[in-house]
Amino acid sequence: MFTQNAFATAAPSLPEGFLRWYLVVMILAVVLGTLADIIHKASAKYFFASWGGGKARRKRELGGGDLAGIAVQTALVDVATSAEFCNPRRRVAHLLTMYGFILYVVATACLVFAYGNTPAPALWPALWWIGAIMVLIGCYWFWFFIRVDVAAEGSTPLRFVKADLFVVSMMVSVTLGVIWAWAGGGAGWLFWLYLLATAVLFLGVPWSKFAHMFFKPAAAFEKRVARANGSNEKLPLQTRDDPEQQKRHSMELLRDAPMDMGLGIKREAPRHY
Amino acid sequence: MGYKTIVEDGIDILVVGAGLGGTGAAWEARFWGQDKKIVIAEKANIDRSGAVAQGLYAINCYMGTRWGENNPEDHVRYARIDLMGLVREDLLFDMARHVDSTVHQFEEWGLPIMKNPKTGRYLREGRWQIMIHGESYKPIVAEAAKKSADQVFNRICVTHLLMDEAKPNRVAGAVGFNVRTGNYHVFKSKTVICGAGGASNIFKPRSTGEGAGRTWYAPWSSASAYGLMINAGAKMTQMENRIVLARFKDGYGPVGAYFLHLKTYTQNALGEEYESKWFPALQKMVGKEYLDPEASHLTHRPIPTCLRNHCIISEVAAGRGPIHMVTMPAFQDPHLEEVGWENFLGMTVGQAVLWAATDVDPKNENPELTTSEPYVMGSHATCSGAWCSGPEDVSPPEYFWGYNRMTTVEGLFGAGDAVGGTPHAFSSGSFTEGRLAAKAACKYIEDGKGEGIVVSDAQVERRKQEIFKPLEHYRIYRNAVVAGTVNPHYINPQQGLDRLQKLMDEYCAGYTVGYMTNEKLLNICLKKLRIMEEDLESLAAKDLHELLRAWELKHRHRAAECVTHHTLFRKETRWPGYYYRGDVMRVDDENWHVLTVSRRDPQTGEYTMEKAPCYHLVSDEEVAPGQSAAQKASA
Amino acid sequence: MPTFVYMTRCDGCGHCVDICPSDIMHIDPTYRRAYNIEPNMCWECYSCVKACPQHAIDVRGYADFAPLGHSVRVDRDERKGTIAWRIIFRDGTEKNFLSPITTKPWGTAIPKLKEVPAPSKEMRDGQLLYNEPKWIRMDEGGLRTLKDAGLKLKKGVYY
Repeated sequence: MFTQNAFATAAPSLPEGFLRWYLVVMILAVVLGTLADIIHKASAKYFFASWGGGKARRKRELGGGDLAGIAVQTALVDVATSAEFCNPRRRVAHLLTMYGFILYVVATACLVFAYGNTPAPALWPALWWIGAIMVLIGCYWFWFFIRVDVAAEGSTPLRFVKADLFVVSMMVSVTLGVIWAWAGGGAGWLFWLYLLATAVLFLGVPWSKFAHMFFKPAAAFEKRVARANGSNEKLPLQTRDDPEQQKRHSMELLRDAPMDMGLGIKREAPRHY
Repeated sequence: MGYKTIVEDGIDILVVGAGLGGTGAAWEARFWGQDKKIVIAEKANIDRSGAVAQGLYAINCYMGTRWGENNPEDHVRYARIDLMGLVREDLLFDMARHVDSTVHQFEEWGLPIMKNPKTGRYLREGRWQIMIHGESYKPIVAEAAKKSADQVFNRICVTHLLMDEAKPNRVAGAVGFNVRTGNYHVFKSKTVICGAGGASNIFKPRSTGEGAGRTWYAPWSSASAYGLMINAGAKMTQMENRIVLARFKDGYGPVGAYFLHLKTYTQNALGEEYESKWFPALQKMVGKEYLDPEASHLTHRPIPTCLRNHCIISEVAAGRGPIHMVTMPAFQDPHLEEVGWENFLGMTVGQAVLWAATDVDPKNENPELTTSEPYVMGSHATCSGAWCSGPEDVSPPEYFWGYNRMTTVEGLFGAGDAVGGTPHAFSSGSFTEGRLAAKAACKYIEDGKGEGIVVSDAQVERRKQEIFKPLEHYRIYRNAVVAGTVNPHYINPQQGLDRLQKLMDEYCAGYTVGYMTNEKLLNICLKKLRIMEEDLESLAAKDLHELLRAWELKHRHRAAECVTHHTLFRKETRWPGYYYRGDVMRVDDENWHVLTVSRRDPQTGEYTMEKAPCYHLVSDEEVAPGQSAAQKASA
Repeated sequence: MPTFVYMTRCDGCGHCVDICPSDIMHIDPTYRRAYNIEPNMCWECYSCVKACPQHAIDVRGYADFAPLGHSVRVDRDERKGTIAWRIIFRDGTEKNFLSPITTKPWGTAIPKLKEVPAPSKEMRDGQLLYNEPKWIRMDEGGLRTLKDAGLKLKKGVYY
């Protein structure tokens, strides 16, 4: 089962090239949906208007090389390791979901485009299953335990709001896919349900948080640029590490104190109720 | 409604409200009750709750007895003068003699207290005030309370105290709801130490849009200390003694460090000194005993806060406003400039935000001051709160009934703004009061006074229905209209608050009427408050956050009603500059050199007002009435 | 509004929701990120601003009276024990401040009162609190009484 191309079991009952067209339409839906969202909200205009922390407060101008370097860092650190998340549980859940989804989508594309009519090597279905299970673990874990409105605000996990559209449609789609494949594949009602749920996931891009997977790296890049060009987003630049600052009159009480005072409020997770 | 009931039983000491008063109580309770069950119920998050959320830049109540700087009785006289003679001198003496140990402990815990480089002592801002870097003041004391308590329940809005059904007038715990989960929480306890907040937002504020949030005293101080205790039938005192503050305009940033450390002073719009011209008329109104400018000048005796307010109010009304603070000379000194700004950043960041927004640099211009809307609380230059017993070794018989800081309800103690008659306690004094209440509460339990408490399921169930009613009411009557907030069947908490603030402002001496009221206006006020109480039965809350606001409003309303009764009862203008009784525009020591005490009957809702004698610290030898102890001592 | 949350910085961690003394930082149902639901109950206490690990929260002074174009940002660093402020005026003037927030590692200098020696009966019956009388004047003297002060409480009109 885990080495069988489940899509191949459905193909015979479907019109020629149906699955390929379906995938193409889904990918187009994401691209067009994201563009529509950006244009409708003018978010690109805002992004470039407030680029790099604004014109004021810049201490240095960055050249093309600098920007390229920052882009690489963004890709390697912020994107690839989901470094933005300080909370380890959130980070792990996000990594599971992110890499799981990538594996799952790439494997699906391979199975549909490259191995639509021919038997697939065991690797691709295996990767499809691994990706799907990673997504399911990440999503369900997030849904029931990590979601901030559940964890910090005390809402019931069963509440569904617009922000949940992306996660829920992904959970439903991948769950249905896994059940369908486990039940032997084919093109029965389970298959059509799976396709329907997947369509909701991809077509819902203008209304869901799907497009944030593009916005977030852009924001992370912009944040690094703001730090690099000295504006630091108008945040303070002075720290206790600076010997000049240690000489401040107000700092004399820390003269003999250790440099690491440990954590106070930040010791605990934000869940006090 | 699907919300669970969670019962916490067998509690010995329940601390309701974990601000500076409550944390002091929880901390100390563990020492006297090492084996006792100590539970905290806090409306927000103990790490940043209460009036000290953003920090403090000064501790305004520190004697400095270790360096011979002051004696506790000196502080009592200072507070007495500032409050025009009417304070609980037993409670004040008690607080002042202990407060230094509280402050020394704070330093030991890591609170950064500034030092005087020449003497090595704490750096004084003024005679009673020392300067601190207190941005994390609250997290530090919260840590102490957390170490002492068995459990801290955060995000619990305590709405009612539970009353014992076996013995009348004895407390049995408290109930409330969890603002996050909506669960109903029942705390059954032998004693309750009420450290909840005083009253902000019961009068219409000067800023009514977003700016309504920029109150001087925290907006989350919803008069719950008063609402809880009044509803339990505790006697309250000096509730008419509301405070009005002269602070930087709009931002309400603090002026203490400016006056005392930076040595700034005020002027009117024409650049003139203005206070002295109002003194002659004021002296006629209050009497030479309370305002003697020559004597003040010679002895450095401070002029009462309310009288200084009166001068600002009068000067502005005469058309020579705005009053501004002359900061330019002081701010040329970079060290003083740093203090001037950090003073805000560690205590009232909003003021720094405002000056940044308006390009005000005190180096280059003299910023505006204003008098605020009134607030009712008990630890600043004002002393509203519960009528409490004092310490056995100090208090006269009328002020003592067994346990220090216990209200007239058995087993119910107060700390901080909850306690009446102890002004000028500020943060350290409130923490100290909590400590005193905790010790007394433990003794109360050891004496067996908390035995045999009975709380029926019926009482618990009745309160549950009451608490969640606004949610239910909304759910049902929301169906009457298409959309929006206008509905003939209910008001939401914001609408209720707007109404309360307007009626208190117009009838009970708010700022729009120049802090003026009279008997007729006060009676109209009571009538409107009564009608409002009926409407509060139709409060609607659409979610848990609004339910929180609904109960805050109910506590505010109860406190406002009590304030109005007291203001009506006291037939004099004791504190011109805080408020005026237009029908009795003078101090009347013959009839009103007393503390006002009220009690609301929980069954009937009727208020009984009484006068309690005012005791003063006098020299051990005989002192003639009308003579000051100092006069006698120096004679 | 008093506090606001930058869309591009908030990752929905909930620290602000957890700390707000006014219960006004909540999660937006469309974006699952934080926002201020009731600016007129915001004290600008900066608890949420300081708590946010992403520096995603900032303050815009109350619109009633504060013009636009200013910035007051903060970095509260618990490990270093400091707080740094950066004030930028509307006209561009900038002021920076740095001060301590604790002199000792957090929580380490506070004893557990359950573990200290219990008070004696004498202490219980008297007026002393924990650590007293020593910690009042840091000497060997006792607690001040009315007798020490040569005073008594007398009913009546005295000034």
